[in-house]
Amino acid sequence: MGSHNDSNEHKPHDHILSNKLGLKVLIALLILTVITIIASRIDFGALNFPIAMLIASVKALMVVLIFMGLKYDDNENRVIFFSSFVFVAIFILLTAADIFTRGDFQVKGNFLMQAQSSTKFKKPWISSPEILAHGKKIYTEQCVICHGANGFGDGVAAAALNPKPRNFHEDAGWKNGRSASRIFGTLLTGLGSMPSFKETLPSSDDRWAVTQYILTLDPTKPLDDTEADLKKVGFDPAKGDYGKDEAADVVKRKIPIDFAIDRYLGK
Amino acid sequence: MSSPHQSSSSVEHHVAHHFKDGEHEFLTAKQGMWLFLLQEVLFFSPLFVGYFIFRHMYYHDFHVAAQQLDWVMGAVNTVILISSSFTMARAVSNAQKGKREETVEALLFTILFAFGFLVVKYLEYSHKIHAGTLPGHFFHDAELLKAAPHAPLFFTFYFAMTGLHAIHVIGGIGILIWILMRARRGEFGPKYFTPVELTGLYWHFVDLVWIYLFPLLYLVG
Repeated sequence: MGSHNDSNEHKPHDHILSNKLGLKVLIALLILTVITIIASRIDFGALNFPIAMLIASVKALMVVLIFMGLKYDDNENRVIFFSSFVFVAIFILLTAADIFTRGDFQVKGNFLMQAQSSTKFKKPWISSPEILAHGKKIYTEQCVICHGANGFGDGVAAAALNPKPRNFHEDAGWKNGRSASRIFGTLLTGLGSMPSFKETLPSSDDRWAVTQYILTLDPTKPLDDTEADLKKVGFDPAKGDYGKDEAADVVKRKIPIDFAIDRYLGK
Repeated sequence: MSSPHQSSSSVEHHVAHHFKDGEHEFLTAKQGMWLFLLQEVLFFSPLFVGYFIFRHMYYHDFHVAAQQLDWVMGAVNTVILISSSFTMARAVSNAQKGKREETVEALLFTILFAFGFLVVKYLEYSHKIHAGTLPGHFFHDAELLKAAPHAPLFFTFYFAMTGLHAIHVIGGIGILIWILMRARRGEFGPKYFTPVELTGLYWHFVDLVWIYLFPLLYLVG
C-alpha cells in the first residue's frame, strides 16, 4: 500500500515552480499582451480575429501548463480540464451549423414564415398546365376546407359560415367580378367570411396559380382580362413577364433569432 | 518519513480519516478542483458562443459598439491580472517551501492586484452608466443606436461577460483573504498547502477568462 513512499519518481505533489520559470512566464505573458494590442491596431482584414484568438490561446496555455502546473500534473487532470474545451467546440459547431444553415425566412408583422421558393411563372395571369398543378396543390391545402374539393362551397367548415363560401359553379352574386384579375384581387382583400390571403400566400405566383385553378372548377368560360384589369391588381403585361411580386415587399431576414430579439426589444 | 520538525507549520494539519495519507488527500482535492474548473469553462462557454454568433450576425454593429470601450483600461487590467497570477504562483511555491512570511506577502500582493482590477472595472462601468451604453432596453445613447442598431446587444454581452468575470474576482478576493489569514497563522508548509494550491488554480482560471475577454471585447470586437 505504501509503495509510493519507496519510488523516486516525480510526483505531482513534489513539483515546485521555480522563481526563474515563474518570472519568465510573467514576462512572456506581458510581451504577448503588447503583441496582441499592436496586432489589433494593424488591419489584417478577416485575420485579425484568428490572430487575437491564437495569441490569447498561447497565453492561456502558458498559464494552464506552468502557473496551474498541468504540465507537471497527472494525465487524469489533463484529460479533465482539456475535455471541457472539446465540449465547448461541439457547442460552437452545432450552434453555428444550425444558425447558419436555416435559409431565408420572411418576417412580416407578427408572422414568421419560411420563404416560399418563388416559382416565377411567366405571365402568371395566363393559364398553363404547370401553373394549374401548382394552383391545385394550394387549393387543396388552403381552400378545400370552406369551398369544398370541387368548388361547390360545401367544405367541412362551410356549415359554420355566414355568408356561405362561394360556389364556383353558380353564376349569380360574384360581388367582385368573375375574371382572373378579380378573383386574384379578392384573394388579396378577402370578402365576407373569407379572410385576406395576402399574408398566408405572400407570393403573387401562388395567388395567381390558385386563381387559375379556381377558374377551371367552373364550366363557364370566364371573361378574359383586359390590360386595364391587370393593371388594377398591380400587373402591367406590357412591362415584363413576371409582374410585381408581393413577396419582394416583405423584409427578408436571415435568422429567426433576429426576429425573436426584435420582438423582445418591442420593435 | 520526514519528521514534523522539518515543517514550518505551527499548526498541524490532520489528514481526514478517509484518506490514506496527506498526498492522497492533496491529489483528491486537486482533482476535485480541476473538475470544478471544467464546469467553470462550460459555465462561461454559452456567453462566448452567443458572442461569437451575434458578432458574426451583426459584425458591423458589434464593431462600432466595441469602439466605445477603452482598450487602455482593458490593457491595464490585463497587466494587473497577469501580475496577480504571477504573485499567486509565488504564494503557492512559497507555501510549498514553508516560507510563511513570503507566502503572506505574495498573497497580499495578489489581493491588492485584485482590488486594482476592480477599481479599473468600476471606472469603466461608471463611464458606461453615464454614457448610457447599457444592455438591452437600458441603452440610451441615441446617436450610437442610429449608427449601430444592435449596439445594445453588444453591451448585453459586455456586461454579462465582464460582470460574471468580476463576480469571480470578488469571490476570489474573499477566498484569498481567508487563505492569507490561515497562512499568517502558519497553517501551511511542505506537508500541507492544499488550500493555497486550490486557490491558485481558481485564481489562474479567473486570469484565463480575462485573457480571452480582453482581445474579444476590447481589441477585435
